[in-house]
Amino acid sequence: MIEKIARPDEIRRIDGDLPVRHRYTPGVAGEIFFTALRDRSVVLGSRCEACRYTYVPARLFCERCFAELAPDVEVGPGGELVSFTIAFVDVDGEPLEEPQTFGLMRLDGADAVLLHRVLDPADEEPLEVGERVEVVLRPKSERTGSILDIEGFRVVE
Amino acid sequence: MAGRVAVVGAGMTRFVRRAQETGKELAWEASREALASCELTLDRVDAVCLTSGPDAFDGVHMKGEYLSDGAGAFGKPFIRTYVGGGSGVFTAIQAYYTVASGMADVVLAVAEEKMSSTQPHPQGAFLTIFDNLLERPLGPNLLWIFALEMNRYMHAYGLDKRDIATVAVKNKRNAADHPAALLGQADITVEDVLASETLAWPVQRLDVSPISDGAVALVVASEDAARAITDRPVWIQGVGWNLDTAYWTNRDLVFPEYVANAARSAYAMAGVTEPRKQIHVAEPYDPFDYKELHHLEGLLLFDKGKAPEAARDGVLNRDGDLPSCPSGGLLGVGNPIAAAGLMKVAELFWQLRGEAGARQVPGTPERGVAQAWGDLMQVGTVVVMGRDGGPPVTASRISPTAVPGRALSDEEFRGAVGAVEDAVGAEYAWDAGVAVGRFLDGLEAGMIFGRQCRRCERVLVPPRMFCERCFRPTDAWVQVETTGVVQTFSICHVRWDMEPLDPPEIPAVISIDGSDGGFLHKLGEVAVDEVAIGMAVEAVWKPEAERTGSILDIAYFRPRRADASAGEEGPS
Repeated sequence: MIEKIARPDEIRRIDGDLPVRHRYTPGVAGEIFFTALRDRSVVLGSRCEACRYTYVPARLFCERCFAELAPDVEVGPGGELVSFTIAFVDVDGEPLEEPQTFGLMRLDGADAVLLHRVLDPADEEPLEVGERVEVVLRPKSERTGSILDIEGFRVVE
Repeated sequence: MAGRVAVVGAGMTRFVRRAQETGKELAWEASREALASCELTLDRVDAVCLTSGPDAFDGVHMKGEYLSDGAGAFGKPFIRTYVGGGSGVFTAIQAYYTVASGMADVVLAVAEEKMSSTQPHPQGAFLTIFDNLLERPLGPNLLWIFALEMNRYMHAYGLDKRDIATVAVKNKRNAADHPAALLGQADITVEDVLASETLAWPVQRLDVSPISDGAVALVVASEDAARAITDRPVWIQGVGWNLDTAYWTNRDLVFPEYVANAARSAYAMAGVTEPRKQIHVAEPYDPFDYKELHHLEGLLLFDKGKAPEAARDGVLNRDGDLPSCPSGGLLGVGNPIAAAGLMKVAELFWQLRGEAGARQVPGTPERGVAQAWGDLMQVGTVVVMGRDGGPPVTASRISPTAVPGRALSDEEFRGAVGAVEDAVGAEYAWDAGVAVGRFLDGLEAGMIFGRQCRRCERVLVPPRMFCERCFRPTDAWVQVETTGVVQTFSICHVRWDMEPLDPPEIPAVISIDGSDGGFLHKLGEVAVDEVAIGMAVEAVWKPEAERTGSILDIAYFRPRRADASAGEEGPS
């Protein structure tokens, strides 16, 4: 029953899509996290004392023991670069004009790591895992309550 | 022989229109409550079974993994299943076999749905359930399916819409006693339902359950574990699930045979030989009011076509002979799709434990059945549950108890700090394949073709290269007529995103003469008050030069004229 297609351009086909958008609201803990970032310039986490683990961003509950958590632990702004990658292509595989560096940072006081951009690493010595980094926030007037209120991480000397 | 399996705890969030909580926060609230209800901690849970609806609702692909932390799955065996609206009850079945297999002693079964994330309307996520080539070009929406099925059901038994509307009234009144309900209304009347806006005749606004957010969780345990956890386990006595053909326009729309098959499996496993005597409380799936009746018949609890008069006569009321949807069901409590099904199983648990408070059915119910339905309206999922015999233990608690789940106003939803709005770029190109490709070639030439299966002696329209019943190749192409008979129709006043359609459209399922099948199309050249089931119709073709090998090469079907063969539309 398998037939060879000799003229692929003659296949009957239809172009379709799923015409939906999603509006994702950040929830109970997320709203507190983004409000604190925008208005108080702090990165909030949640500490579970029983599990000895501090989550970042802040969460409503501990996934290890299910305890309710308060989003009230200020972490950073300094931290450690846990890993990084340098991207040369975009999501479609097209070359980027400038390579972009993304890193995982463990902020001081946190156990979980945060994904964000690493700013201007090209001017410096090659990046190294384990380096000291710090959070760079956008100017307060430009913040919207978004993870992009953090501009990225910067290597500190 | 598998060991016995019991439900020992349950919890749920409030069902709301726009939850402030994220999906995982909702899942956590319900899961935490379920564990607290039986005084367990998360470390006692061996495995987690989860369900949630289409990823397109939330824009989160691999939504099971996204929800896993809220379901308590960190570091545990975890799997998400999804069978459309049938998912919630199926997750209880999944928890059952995870325990019955001996793989786990204690399982958390979690169902979560957040429909409010979907813009502009959750129906958009379902458009691709319709065949890309044969149905989507017609612009169908989900209401069509229900309206077409409801009309066929009403026609087959000569049913009165008033009797069907009593189901919506009963459930919304029942829900007024449910602490987690979205649409409880103690004073609603049949007149209110009949006066509500017509969406897709015969479906009116109050025949339909609401878009909702929420989560439900159960704790399911092996017999030994259950006896150690509680002195009042509720046993999962039987489970069943079953699918009908994927060609919904070839299906019996009057009686849900797949639900009956699932029910027969579950009853056999439970040792239920006379369901009408041995089932004391039912939670059939009620996304639309007629569906509850359709499903009660599928569950073999009433003769075919007899459930509506039972509704009219009060048999289904909480104090009737067969209380049905004492929770308030999807129509009253709400319909966060996957969560709604598991809510029904939780309600049976609470009813059989005597914990349902103002919702408690009188007497001493010992056994109940919960059922859900979904996929392309083709799956039936059924669970039979019962308690140990003897007098009921007087419950010390009323459930559900704590009900978090805070509703945002539309303004709060639009203005929430940190909210993002985006679309998953989900464009695709769909090839016709062998059978439908030739079918479309035929339409371009003004002909309708089917495929013959010589073993079951059917001519299949739409055609397929294999027979899904015989599971063998079909044998030959057959040219069938371009005339047919209206099996069912609707008069649809809204698009999928609920924008009004004026004039309304008349979608219909048309059986094609000379075949054993048929397909979805639209009717034209007929007044809305003249359309009837059983009407002979003929294809009206687009002018040959305008045909493209599409289902739209048939412009529409019109009442058959005695003097001519199939017509052709004039140049437009």
